[in-house]
Amino acid sequence: MKKIFNIQSLYSILFFTGSIIILGLIWQLVSIITEKEIPGPLQTWVVCKEMFTTPFYDNGPNDKGIGNQLMSSLWRVFIGFGIGSLIAIPLGVIMGSSKFMMRLFDPIVQILRPVSPLAWFPLGLLAFKAAAGATIFIITITSLWPTLINTSFGVSSIPQDHKNVGKAFGFSKLKYLTKILIPYSLPHIITGLRLSIGIAWMVIVAGEMLSGGSGIGFFVWDSWNGLSLEKILVAILIIGTVGLLLDKLFNVVQHAFAWENK
Amino acid sequence: MKSLSLEEIQTLNDSEIETSKAIEKILGPSAIKIDNVTVSFKSKNGIYTAIKDISLDIKKGEIVSFIGHSGCGKSTLMNTISGMNTPSHGEVIANGNVVKGPGPDRGIVFQNYSLLPWLTVFQNIYEAVDSSFKNISKKEKIEMVEKNLKMVNLWEHHHKLPGHLSGGMKQRVAIARAFAINPKILLLDEPFGALDALTKSSMHIELLKLWNLDHREKTIVMVTHDIEEAIFLSDRVVVLNNGPASTIKEIVEVNLERPRNKKDIVHDPKYMEIHDKLLNLLIDKFSIADY
Repeated sequence: MKKIFNIQSLYSILFFTGSIIILGLIWQLVSIITEKEIPGPLQTWVVCKEMFTTPFYDNGPNDKGIGNQLMSSLWRVFIGFGIGSLIAIPLGVIMGSSKFMMRLFDPIVQILRPVSPLAWFPLGLLAFKAAAGATIFIITITSLWPTLINTSFGVSSIPQDHKNVGKAFGFSKLKYLTKILIPYSLPHIITGLRLSIGIAWMVIVAGEMLSGGSGIGFFVWDSWNGLSLEKILVAILIIGTVGLLLDKLFNVVQHAFAWENK
Repeated sequence: MKSLSLEEIQTLNDSEIETSKAIEKILGPSAIKIDNVTVSFKSKNGIYTAIKDISLDIKKGEIVSFIGHSGCGKSTLMNTISGMNTPSHGEVIANGNVVKGPGPDRGIVFQNYSLLPWLTVFQNIYEAVDSSFKNISKKEKIEMVEKNLKMVNLWEHHHKLPGHLSGGMKQRVAIARAFAINPKILLLDEPFGALDALTKSSMHIELLKLWNLDHREKTIVMVTHDIEEAIFLSDRVVVLNNGPASTIKEIVEVNLERPRNKKDIVHDPKYMEIHDKLLNLLIDKFSIADY
Protein backbone atom coordinates (compact mmCIF):
# COMPACT_ATOMS: atom_id res chain seq x y z
CA MET A 1 0.00 0.00 0.00
CA LYS A 2 1.14 3.49 -0.82
CA LYS A 3 1.75 5.88 2.04
CA ILE A 4 -0.65 8.79 1.74
CA PHE A 5 1.47 11.09 3.85
CA ASN A 6 5.04 11.05 2.61
CA ILE A 7 7.84 13.58 2.65
CA GLN A 8 6.83 14.91 -0.78
CA SER A 9 3.33 15.86 0.31
CA LEU A 10 4.76 17.42 3.46
CA TYR A 11 6.94 19.67 1.30
CA SER A 12 3.95 20.56 -0.88
CA ILE A 13 1.99 21.65 2.18
CA LEU A 14 4.92 23.68 3.52
CA PHE A 15 5.41 25.46 0.20
CA PHE A 16 1.68 26.15 -0.08
CA THR A 17 1.58 27.60 3.44
CA GLY A 18 4.65 29.72 2.69
CA SER A 19 3.02 31.02 -0.45
CA ILE A 20 -0.15 31.99 1.43
CA ILE A 21 1.88 33.79 4.09
CA ILE A 22 3.71 35.83 1.42
CA LEU A 23 0.37 36.74 -0.17
CA GLY A 24 -0.95 37.80 3.26
CA LEU A 25 2.11 39.97 3.89
CA ILE A 26 1.87 41.74 0.52
CA TRP A 27 -1.80 42.28 1.14
CA GLN A 28 -1.13 43.75 4.60
CA LEU A 29 1.57 45.99 3.11
CA VAL A 30 -0.80 47.31 0.45
CA SER A 31 -3.37 47.93 3.14
CA ILE A 32 -0.88 49.95 5.20
CA ILE A 33 0.32 51.96 2.19
CA THR A 34 -3.24 52.87 1.18
CA GLU A 35 -3.98 53.86 4.80
CA LYS A 36 -6.62 51.17 5.29
CA GLU A 37 -8.58 52.25 2.21
CA ILE A 38 -8.04 48.67 1.11
CA PRO A 39 -8.88 46.48 4.10
CA GLY A 40 -6.19 44.18 5.45
CA PRO A 41 -6.39 40.40 5.87
CA LEU A 42 -7.59 40.50 9.49
CA GLN A 43 -10.36 42.98 8.76
CA THR A 44 -11.44 40.89 5.79
CA TRP A 45 -11.33 37.73 7.86
CA VAL A 46 -14.00 39.14 10.23
CA VAL A 47 -16.34 39.85 7.33
CA CYS A 48 -15.50 36.50 5.80
CA LYS A 49 -16.50 34.59 8.93
CA GLU A 50 -19.76 36.52 9.01
CA MET A 51 -20.47 35.67 5.39
CA PHE A 52 -19.80 31.98 5.92
CA THR A 53 -21.97 31.61 9.02
CA THR A 54 -25.10 31.78 6.85
CA PRO A 55 -23.90 31.16 3.28
CA PHE A 56 -27.29 30.08 1.91
CA TYR A 57 -29.73 32.74 3.17
CA ASP A 58 -32.12 34.25 0.65
CA ASN A 59 -33.76 37.62 1.34
CA GLY A 60 -35.19 38.35 -2.08
CA PRO A 61 -33.51 38.94 -5.44
CA ASN A 62 -30.87 41.45 -4.31
CA ASP A 63 -29.80 39.90 -1.04
CA LYS A 64 -28.58 36.32 -1.19
CA GLY A 65 -25.91 34.37 0.69
CA ILE A 66 -22.46 33.86 -0.83
CA GLY A 67 -23.14 30.11 -1.17
CA ASN A 68 -26.21 30.80 -3.29
CA GLN A 69 -24.27 33.23 -5.48
CA LEU A 70 -21.49 30.72 -5.98
CA MET A 71 -23.94 27.95 -6.85
CA SER A 72 -25.71 30.00 -9.50
CA SER A 73 -22.34 30.98 -11.02
CA LEU A 74 -21.13 27.40 -11.10
CA TRP A 75 -24.40 26.29 -12.65
CA ARG A 76 -24.07 28.89 -15.44
CA VAL A 77 -20.46 27.93 -16.06
CA PHE A 78 -21.45 24.28 -16.19
CA ILE A 79 -24.22 24.92 -18.74
CA GLY A 80 -22.18 27.30 -20.90
CA PHE A 81 -19.08 25.13 -20.82
CA GLY A 82 -21.18 22.02 -21.51
CA ILE A 83 -22.83 23.53 -24.58
CA GLY A 84 -19.45 24.86 -25.75
CA SER A 85 -17.84 21.43 -25.45
CA LEU A 86 -20.74 19.75 -27.24
CA ILE A 87 -20.09 22.08 -30.17
CA ALA A 88 -16.28 22.11 -29.96
CA ILE A 89 -15.51 18.38 -29.71
CA PRO A 90 -17.49 17.16 -32.77
CA LEU A 91 -16.38 20.17 -34.80
CA GLY A 92 -12.78 19.57 -33.73
CA VAL A 93 -13.03 15.93 -34.79
CA ILE A 94 -14.38 16.98 -38.20
CA MET A 95 -11.66 19.61 -38.66
CA GLY A 96 -8.93 17.24 -37.51
CA SER A 97 -10.05 14.40 -39.79
CA SER A 98 -10.09 16.36 -43.01
CA LYS A 99 -7.56 18.83 -44.36
CA PHE A 100 -10.33 20.37 -46.44
CA MET A 101 -12.49 21.11 -43.40
CA MET A 102 -9.45 22.37 -41.47
CA ARG A 103 -8.61 24.91 -44.15
CA LEU A 104 -12.26 25.88 -44.50
CA PHE A 105 -12.96 26.47 -40.80
CA ASP A 106 -9.58 27.59 -39.50
CA PRO A 107 -9.93 31.27 -40.56
CA ILE A 108 -13.29 31.48 -38.75
CA VAL A 109 -11.63 30.13 -35.59
CA GLN A 110 -8.73 32.55 -35.90
CA ILE A 111 -11.03 35.55 -36.31
CA LEU A 112 -13.54 34.74 -33.58
CA ARG A 113 -11.15 33.34 -30.96
CA PRO A 114 -9.55 36.64 -29.83
CA VAL A 115 -12.90 38.45 -29.44
CA SER A 116 -13.51 39.64 -25.87
CA PRO A 117 -16.48 38.08 -24.06
CA LEU A 118 -17.86 41.55 -23.36
CA ALA A 119 -18.11 42.25 -27.08
CA TRP A 120 -20.38 39.24 -27.49
CA PHE A 121 -22.73 40.29 -24.70
CA PRO A 122 -25.02 42.64 -26.68
CA LEU A 123 -25.43 39.99 -29.38
CA GLY A 124 -26.40 37.50 -26.67
CA LEU A 125 -28.95 39.94 -25.26
CA LEU A 126 -30.40 40.45 -28.71
CA ALA A 127 -30.59 36.74 -29.42
CA PHE A 128 -31.96 35.54 -26.09
CA LYS A 129 -33.89 38.65 -24.96
CA ALA A 130 -32.69 37.88 -21.43
CA ALA A 131 -29.57 38.51 -19.40
CA ALA A 132 -29.36 34.92 -18.15
CA GLY A 133 -29.28 33.54 -21.69
CA ALA A 134 -26.73 36.14 -22.73
CA THR A 135 -24.36 35.18 -19.91
CA ILE A 136 -24.46 31.52 -20.89
CA PHE A 137 -24.03 32.52 -24.53
CA ILE A 138 -20.81 34.44 -23.87
CA ILE A 139 -19.42 31.59 -21.76
CA THR A 140 -20.19 29.15 -24.54
CA ILE A 141 -18.70 31.20 -27.33
CA THR A 142 -15.51 32.19 -25.52
CA SER A 143 -14.77 28.85 -23.85
CA LEU A 144 -15.18 26.58 -26.85
CA TRP A 145 -11.98 27.61 -28.68
CA PRO A 146 -9.30 25.80 -26.64
CA THR A 147 -11.32 22.57 -26.78
CA LEU A 148 -11.90 23.00 -30.51
CA ILE A 149 -8.25 23.71 -31.29
CA ASN A 150 -6.87 20.94 -29.07
CA THR A 151 -9.37 18.38 -30.36
CA SER A 152 -8.59 19.16 -33.99
CA PHE A 153 -4.87 19.04 -33.24
CA GLY A 154 -5.22 15.68 -31.46
CA VAL A 155 -7.26 14.14 -34.25
CA SER A 156 -5.00 15.46 -37.02
CA SER A 157 -1.90 14.03 -35.31
CA ILE A 158 -3.07 10.39 -35.14
CA PRO A 159 0.01 8.40 -36.28
CA GLN A 160 -0.18 6.60 -39.62
CA ASP A 161 0.58 3.33 -37.79
CA HIS A 162 -2.67 3.49 -35.86
CA LYS A 163 -4.62 4.42 -38.98
CA ASN A 164 -3.02 1.48 -40.80
CA VAL A 165 -4.29 -0.92 -38.14
CA GLY A 166 -7.82 0.29 -38.81
CA LYS A 167 -7.30 -0.07 -42.56
CA ALA A 168 -5.58 -3.46 -42.48
CA PHE A 169 -8.15 -5.11 -40.24
CA GLY A 170 -11.13 -3.43 -41.87
CA PHE A 171 -12.41 -1.40 -38.92
CA SER A 172 -15.83 0.13 -39.53
CA LYS A 173 -16.21 3.93 -39.29
CA LEU A 174 -17.71 3.55 -35.81
CA LYS A 175 -14.96 1.21 -34.64
CA TYR A 176 -12.31 3.58 -35.99
CA LEU A 177 -13.96 6.43 -34.09
CA THR A 178 -14.34 4.60 -30.78
CA LYS A 179 -11.19 2.46 -30.77
CA ILE A 180 -8.61 4.66 -32.51
CA LEU A 181 -9.64 8.28 -33.02
CA ILE A 182 -11.21 9.06 -29.63
CA PRO A 183 -8.75 7.12 -27.44
CA TYR A 184 -5.80 8.72 -29.21
CA SER A 185 -7.16 12.27 -29.03
CA LEU A 186 -8.71 12.02 -25.56
CA PRO A 187 -5.66 13.42 -23.69
CA HIS A 188 -5.63 16.37 -26.12
CA ILE A 189 -9.38 16.87 -25.74
CA ILE A 190 -9.09 16.89 -21.96
CA THR A 191 -6.24 19.43 -22.11
CA GLY A 192 -8.55 21.58 -24.22
CA LEU A 193 -11.40 21.16 -21.74
CA ARG A 194 -9.10 22.13 -18.90
CA LEU A 195 -8.14 25.38 -20.64
CA SER A 196 -11.77 25.97 -21.57
CA ILE A 197 -13.13 25.64 -18.05
CA GLY A 198 -10.50 28.15 -16.91
CA ILE A 199 -11.72 30.64 -19.50
CA ALA A 200 -15.36 29.95 -18.65
CA TRP A 201 -14.68 30.70 -15.00
CA MET A 202 -12.92 33.97 -15.89
CA VAL A 203 -15.73 35.03 -18.18
CA ILE A 204 -18.53 34.32 -15.69
CA VAL A 205 -17.50 37.21 -13.42
CA ALA A 206 -17.53 39.74 -16.26
CA GLY A 207 -20.77 38.30 -17.59
CA GLU A 208 -22.57 38.49 -14.27
CA MET A 209 -21.36 42.04 -13.63
CA LEU A 210 -23.14 43.02 -16.84
CA SER A 211 -26.21 40.86 -16.45
CA GLY A 212 -26.87 41.35 -12.73
CA GLY A 213 -29.40 39.33 -10.77
CA SER A 214 -27.27 36.67 -9.12
CA GLY A 215 -23.88 35.01 -9.14
CA ILE A 216 -20.42 35.77 -7.84
CA GLY A 217 -19.80 38.49 -10.44
CA PHE A 218 -23.02 40.21 -9.50
CA PHE A 219 -21.97 39.89 -5.83
CA VAL A 220 -18.70 41.74 -6.53
CA TRP A 221 -20.53 44.53 -8.30
CA ASP A 222 -23.23 44.72 -5.63
CA SER A 223 -20.57 44.90 -2.88
CA TRP A 224 -18.88 47.73 -4.75
CA ASN A 225 -22.18 49.62 -4.84
CA GLY A 226 -22.55 48.95 -1.13
CA LEU A 227 -18.91 50.04 -0.64
CA SER A 228 -17.98 46.83 1.15
CA LEU A 229 -14.43 46.24 0.00
CA GLU A 230 -14.02 43.37 2.45
CA LYS A 231 -16.75 41.46 0.65
CA ILE A 232 -15.06 42.11 -2.70
CA LEU A 233 -11.78 40.76 -1.35
CA VAL A 234 -13.52 37.66 0.02
CA ALA A 235 -15.18 37.18 -3.37
CA ILE A 236 -11.81 37.48 -5.13
CA LEU A 237 -10.35 34.79 -2.88
CA ILE A 238 -13.36 32.55 -3.49
CA ILE A 239 -13.13 33.03 -7.27
CA GLY A 240 -9.42 32.16 -7.16
CA THR A 241 -9.93 29.10 -4.99
CA VAL A 242 -12.81 27.73 -7.06
CA GLY A 243 -10.78 28.31 -10.23
CA LEU A 244 -7.91 26.36 -8.72
CA LEU A 245 -10.22 23.50 -7.70
CA LEU A 246 -11.76 23.31 -11.18
CA ASP A 247 -8.28 23.13 -12.68
CA LYS A 248 -7.21 20.42 -10.24
CA LEU A 249 -10.36 18.45 -11.06
CA PHE A 250 -9.45 18.41 -14.74
CA ASN A 251 -5.87 17.60 -13.85
CA VAL A 252 -7.13 14.44 -12.15
CA VAL A 253 -9.28 13.56 -15.17
CA GLN A 254 -6.31 14.18 -17.45
CA HIS A 255 -4.15 11.75 -15.50
CA ALA A 256 -6.89 9.14 -15.47
CA PHE A 257 -7.05 9.12 -19.27
CA ALA A 258 -3.37 9.41 -20.10
CA TRP A 259 -2.64 5.99 -21.64
CA GLU A 260 0.91 7.06 -22.50
CA ASN A 261 2.18 6.76 -18.95
CA LYS A 262 0.46 3.47 -18.18
CA MET B 1 5.26 -31.63 -51.95
CA LYS B 2 2.22 -33.81 -52.61
CA SER B 3 2.80 -37.00 -54.56
CA LEU B 4 0.68 -37.70 -57.61
CA SER B 5 -2.25 -40.00 -57.19
CA LEU B 6 -3.28 -42.34 -59.99
CA GLU B 7 -6.31 -40.23 -60.85
CA GLU B 8 -4.18 -37.19 -61.13
CA ILE B 9 -1.85 -38.88 -63.58
CA GLN B 10 -4.92 -39.99 -65.50
CA THR B 11 -6.21 -36.46 -65.80
CA LEU B 12 -2.82 -35.32 -66.99
CA ASN B 13 -3.39 -37.23 -70.18
CA ASP B 14 -6.94 -36.10 -70.77
CA SER B 15 -6.65 -32.77 -72.47
CA GLU B 16 -4.67 -29.60 -72.41
CA ILE B 17 -7.08 -27.73 -70.17
CA GLU B 18 -7.22 -30.64 -67.82
CA THR B 19 -3.44 -30.75 -67.84
CA SER B 20 -3.07 -27.19 -66.72
CA LYS B 21 -5.68 -27.77 -64.03
CA ALA B 22 -3.79 -30.81 -62.82
CA ILE B 23 -0.53 -28.91 -62.73
CA GLU B 24 -2.30 -26.28 -60.71
CA LYS B 25 -3.50 -29.03 -58.40
CA ILE B 26 -0.02 -30.36 -57.94
CA LEU B 27 1.86 -27.11 -57.63
CA GLY B 28 -1.04 -25.40 -55.96
CA PRO B 29 -2.85 -22.42 -57.46
CA SER B 30 -1.07 -19.12 -57.22
CA ALA B 31 -2.13 -17.28 -54.09
CA ILE B 32 -0.63 -14.01 -55.23
CA LYS B 33 -0.08 -12.95 -58.81
CA ILE B 34 1.83 -9.72 -59.24
CA ASP B 35 1.32 -8.69 -62.83
CA ASN B 36 3.65 -6.08 -64.28
CA VAL B 37 3.31 -3.73 -61.33
CA THR B 38 4.79 -0.23 -61.27
CA VAL B 39 4.32 2.05 -58.26
CA SER B 40 5.06 5.78 -58.48
CA PHE B 41 4.55 8.50 -55.90
CA LYS B 42 4.19 12.22 -56.34
CA SER B 43 6.95 14.04 -54.50
CA LYS B 44 8.32 17.58 -54.35
CA ASN B 45 10.85 16.82 -57.08
CA GLY B 46 8.34 15.31 -59.48
CA ILE B 47 7.28 11.71 -59.75
CA TYR B 48 9.26 9.09 -57.85
CA THR B 49 9.02 5.53 -59.13
CA ALA B 50 9.67 3.06 -56.33
CA ILE B 51 9.24 -0.23 -58.18
CA LYS B 52 8.97 -0.88 -61.89
CA ASP B 53 7.54 -3.71 -64.00
CA ILE B 54 7.53 -6.35 -61.32
CA SER B 55 5.87 -9.68 -62.08
CA LEU B 56 5.85 -12.58 -59.66
CA ASP B 57 3.70 -15.62 -58.94
CA ILE B 58 3.52 -16.87 -55.38
CA LYS B 59 2.01 -20.31 -54.84
CA LYS B 60 -0.42 -21.23 -52.12
CA GLY B 61 1.40 -22.32 -48.98
CA GLU B 62 4.70 -20.89 -50.11
CA ILE B 63 6.95 -18.74 -47.96
CA VAL B 64 8.62 -16.00 -49.98
CA SER B 65 11.02 -13.31 -48.76
CA PHE B 66 11.77 -9.97 -50.36
CA ILE B 67 15.31 -8.90 -49.67
CA GLY B 68 17.29 -5.85 -50.71
CA HIS B 69 19.00 -2.71 -49.49
CA SER B 70 17.16 0.06 -47.70
CA GLY B 71 14.96 2.04 -50.04
CA CYS B 72 14.80 -0.69 -52.67
CA GLY B 73 11.02 -0.76 -52.60
CA LYS B 74 10.57 -3.97 -50.59
CA SER B 75 7.96 -2.37 -48.40
CA THR B 76 6.31 -0.67 -51.35
CA LEU B 77 5.92 -4.04 -53.06
CA MET B 78 4.54 -5.48 -49.82
CA ASN B 79 2.07 -2.62 -49.41
CA THR B 80 0.88 -3.20 -52.96
CA ILE B 81 -0.04 -6.77 -52.03
CA SER B 82 -1.72 -5.65 -48.81
CA GLY B 83 -3.62 -2.96 -50.66
CA MET B 84 -2.22 -0.01 -48.73
CA ASN B 85 -0.68 1.27 -51.99
CA THR B 86 -2.39 1.18 -55.34
CA PRO B 87 -0.16 0.36 -58.31
CA SER B 88 0.17 3.09 -60.94
CA HIS B 89 0.40 0.39 -63.54
CA GLY B 90 -0.40 -3.33 -63.55
CA GLU B 91 -2.34 -5.22 -60.90
CA VAL B 92 -2.03 -7.63 -58.03
CA ILE B 93 -4.36 -10.61 -57.80
CA ALA B 94 -4.63 -12.15 -54.35
CA ASN B 95 -6.75 -15.26 -53.75
CA GLY B 96 -8.31 -14.80 -57.19
CA ASN B 97 -9.39 -11.20 -56.69
CA VAL B 98 -7.79 -7.99 -57.90
CA VAL B 99 -6.44 -6.13 -54.87
CA LYS B 100 -8.29 -2.84 -54.45
CA GLY B 101 -7.54 -2.21 -50.78
CA PRO B 102 -6.72 -4.00 -47.55
CA GLY B 103 -8.91 -6.98 -46.75
CA PRO B 104 -9.28 -9.72 -44.14
CA ASP B 105 -7.97 -12.37 -46.57
CA ARG B 106 -4.51 -10.82 -46.09
CA GLY B 107 -3.27 -10.50 -42.51
CA ILE B 108 -0.54 -7.96 -41.91
CA VAL B 109 2.18 -7.89 -39.28
CA PHE B 110 3.72 -4.44 -39.22
CA GLN B 111 7.36 -3.63 -38.63
CA ASN B 112 6.68 -1.72 -35.42
CA TYR B 113 3.97 -4.10 -34.13
CA SER B 114 1.28 -1.38 -34.44
CA LEU B 115 -0.70 -2.48 -31.43
CA LEU B 116 -3.15 0.08 -30.12
CA PRO B 117 -1.57 1.21 -26.83
CA TRP B 118 -4.87 1.99 -25.06
CA LEU B 119 -6.31 -1.48 -25.65
CA THR B 120 -5.25 -4.59 -23.74
CA VAL B 121 -3.60 -7.50 -25.53
CA PHE B 122 -6.98 -9.24 -25.57
CA GLN B 123 -8.84 -6.20 -26.93
CA ASN B 124 -6.24 -5.59 -29.62
CA ILE B 125 -6.93 -9.00 -31.09
CA TYR B 126 -10.65 -8.97 -30.32
CA GLU B 127 -11.23 -5.76 -32.31
CA ALA B 128 -9.49 -7.26 -35.34
CA VAL B 129 -11.54 -10.48 -35.04
CA ASP B 130 -14.73 -8.48 -34.50
CA SER B 131 -14.11 -6.50 -37.70
CA SER B 132 -13.26 -9.51 -39.83
CA PHE B 133 -15.98 -11.95 -38.80
CA LYS B 134 -19.45 -10.47 -38.97
CA ASN B 135 -21.57 -13.59 -38.67
CA ILE B 136 -20.33 -15.31 -35.55
CA SER B 137 -21.37 -14.83 -31.94
CA LYS B 138 -19.45 -12.86 -29.38
CA LYS B 139 -18.65 -16.05 -27.52
CA GLU B 140 -17.03 -17.59 -30.59
CA LYS B 141 -15.01 -14.44 -31.17
CA ILE B 142 -13.72 -14.54 -27.61
CA GLU B 143 -12.80 -18.20 -28.08
CA MET B 144 -10.87 -17.34 -31.24
CA VAL B 145 -8.89 -14.65 -29.41
CA GLU B 146 -8.16 -17.07 -26.60
CA LYS B 147 -7.04 -19.81 -28.99
CA ASN B 148 -4.66 -17.52 -30.83
CA LEU B 149 -3.19 -16.00 -27.70
CA LYS B 150 -2.61 -19.47 -26.28
CA MET B 151 -0.89 -20.41 -29.52
CA VAL B 152 1.76 -17.73 -28.92
CA ASN B 153 1.84 -18.49 -25.17
CA LEU B 154 0.56 -15.11 -24.12
CA TRP B 155 -2.83 -15.95 -22.66
CA GLU B 156 -1.68 -15.17 -19.13
CA HIS B 157 -0.80 -11.64 -20.31
CA HIS B 158 -4.12 -11.00 -22.08
CA HIS B 159 -5.23 -8.25 -19.69
CA LYS B 160 -2.00 -6.23 -20.04
CA LEU B 161 -1.51 -3.10 -22.07
CA PRO B 162 1.09 -3.35 -24.87
CA GLY B 163 3.29 -0.83 -23.06
CA HIS B 164 3.92 -3.45 -20.39
CA LEU B 165 5.23 -6.08 -22.82
CA SER B 166 8.71 -6.67 -24.19
CA GLY B 167 9.42 -6.26 -27.90
CA GLY B 168 9.25 -9.99 -28.54
CA MET B 169 5.95 -10.30 -26.72
CA LYS B 170 4.49 -7.39 -28.65
CA GLN B 171 5.52 -9.03 -31.90
CA ARG B 172 3.89 -12.28 -30.81
CA VAL B 173 0.67 -10.38 -30.11
CA ALA B 174 0.90 -8.81 -33.57
CA ILE B 175 1.40 -12.26 -35.11
CA ALA B 176 -1.47 -13.71 -33.08
CA ARG B 177 -3.64 -10.84 -34.29
CA ALA B 178 -2.76 -11.54 -37.91
CA PHE B 179 -3.43 -15.30 -37.45
CA ALA B 180 -6.68 -14.67 -35.55
CA ILE B 181 -8.44 -13.27 -38.60
CA ASN B 182 -7.43 -16.52 -40.32
CA PRO B 183 -6.12 -14.98 -43.53
CA LYS B 184 -5.09 -17.10 -46.51
CA ILE B 185 -2.10 -14.82 -46.96
CA LEU B 186 0.13 -13.50 -44.22
CA LEU B 187 2.19 -10.41 -44.95
CA LEU B 188 5.13 -9.67 -42.67
CA ASP B 189 6.90 -6.33 -43.09
CA GLU B 190 10.33 -6.66 -41.45
CA PRO B 191 8.59 -8.38 -38.57
CA PHE B 192 11.66 -9.21 -36.52
CA GLY B 193 13.80 -6.21 -37.41
CA ALA B 194 13.54 -4.58 -34.00
CA LEU B 195 14.27 -7.73 -31.99
CA ASP B 196 17.54 -8.92 -30.52
CA ALA B 197 19.21 -11.97 -32.09
CA LEU B 198 18.05 -14.49 -29.48
CA THR B 199 14.42 -13.36 -29.49
CA LYS B 200 14.56 -13.26 -33.27
CA SER B 201 15.62 -16.93 -33.50
CA SER B 202 12.85 -18.12 -31.24
CA MET B 203 10.33 -16.01 -33.14
CA HIS B 204 11.38 -17.70 -36.41
CA ILE B 205 10.62 -21.06 -34.86
CA GLU B 206 7.32 -19.79 -33.42
CA LEU B 207 6.28 -18.56 -36.85
CA LEU B 208 7.10 -21.87 -38.55
CA LYS B 209 5.30 -23.72 -35.75
CA LEU B 210 2.14 -21.71 -36.38
CA TRP B 211 2.49 -22.29 -40.11
CA ASN B 212 2.84 -26.06 -39.51
CA LEU B 213 -0.13 -26.11 -37.11
CA ASP B 214 -2.13 -24.63 -39.93
CA HIS B 215 -1.02 -27.51 -42.25
CA ARG B 216 1.26 -25.19 -44.22
CA GLU B 217 -1.72 -23.78 -46.06
CA LYS B 218 -1.09 -20.13 -45.41
CA THR B 219 1.00 -18.25 -47.92
CA ILE B 220 3.58 -16.10 -46.18
CA VAL B 221 5.28 -13.12 -47.78
CA MET B 222 7.98 -11.44 -45.76
CA VAL B 223 10.17 -8.36 -46.15
CA THR B 224 13.57 -8.61 -44.54
CA HIS B 225 17.17 -7.51 -44.88
CA ASP B 226 18.52 -10.45 -42.93
CA ILE B 227 19.98 -13.15 -45.21
CA GLU B 228 20.00 -15.92 -42.56
CA GLU B 229 16.40 -15.19 -41.66
CA ALA B 230 15.35 -15.24 -45.31
CA ILE B 231 17.03 -18.61 -45.95
CA PHE B 232 15.82 -20.27 -42.77
CA LEU B 233 12.18 -19.36 -43.36
CA SER B 234 11.62 -19.17 -47.10
CA ASP B 235 11.04 -21.41 -50.08
CA ARG B 236 12.16 -18.63 -52.39
CA VAL B 237 14.09 -15.43 -51.81
CA VAL B 238 13.36 -12.54 -54.15
CA VAL B 239 16.33 -10.17 -54.42
CA LEU B 240 15.44 -6.63 -55.47
CA ASN B 241 17.71 -4.13 -57.22
CA ASN B 242 18.49 -0.83 -55.58
CA GLY B 243 15.90 1.88 -56.13
CA PRO B 244 14.60 4.07 -57.53
CA ALA B 245 12.54 2.13 -60.06
CA SER B 246 13.81 -1.14 -58.68
CA THR B 247 13.10 -4.44 -60.37
CA ILE B 248 13.63 -8.07 -59.46
CA LYS B 249 17.36 -8.86 -59.65
CA GLU B 250 17.08 -12.56 -59.12
CA ILE B 251 14.88 -15.18 -57.50
CA VAL B 252 16.82 -17.70 -55.43
CA GLU B 253 15.21 -21.08 -54.67
CA VAL B 254 15.85 -22.38 -51.18
CA ASN B 255 15.50 -26.12 -51.70
CA LEU B 256 16.34 -27.12 -48.14
CA GLU B 257 14.15 -29.77 -46.64
CA ARG B 258 11.63 -28.96 -43.93
CA PRO B 259 11.49 -29.12 -41.00
CA ARG B 260 14.70 -27.16 -40.84
CA ASN B 261 16.89 -27.17 -37.79
CA LYS B 262 18.31 -23.78 -36.92
CA LYS B 263 21.53 -25.24 -35.54
CA ASP B 264 22.23 -27.88 -38.19
CA ILE B 265 21.16 -25.95 -41.23
CA VAL B 266 24.15 -23.59 -41.16
CA HIS B 267 26.51 -26.53 -41.75
CA ASP B 268 24.53 -27.77 -44.72
CA PRO B 269 26.62 -27.16 -47.89
CA LYS B 270 23.44 -26.27 -49.76
CA TYR B 271 22.72 -23.60 -47.15
CA MET B 272 26.22 -22.18 -47.51
CA GLU B 273 25.90 -22.10 -51.26
CA ILE B 274 22.62 -20.18 -51.08
CA HIS B 275 24.03 -17.88 -48.45
CA ASP B 276 27.05 -17.06 -50.62
CA LYS B 277 24.89 -16.51 -53.65
CA LEU B 278 22.64 -14.05 -51.78
CA LEU B 279 25.61 -12.28 -50.28
CA ASN B 280 27.12 -11.85 -53.74
CA LEU B 281 23.86 -10.50 -55.07
CA LEU B 282 23.52 -7.99 -52.25
CA ILE B 283 27.08 -6.85 -51.68
CA ASP B 284 29.41 -5.75 -54.48
CA LYS B 285 32.56 -5.13 -52.50
CA PHE B 286 33.71 -7.33 -49.67
CA SER B 287 36.74 -5.35 -48.64
CA ILE B 288 38.01 -1.83 -48.85
CA ALA B 289 39.85 -1.39 -52.13
CA ASP B 290 43.62 -1.16 -51.74
CA TYR B 291 44.94 1.89 -53.50
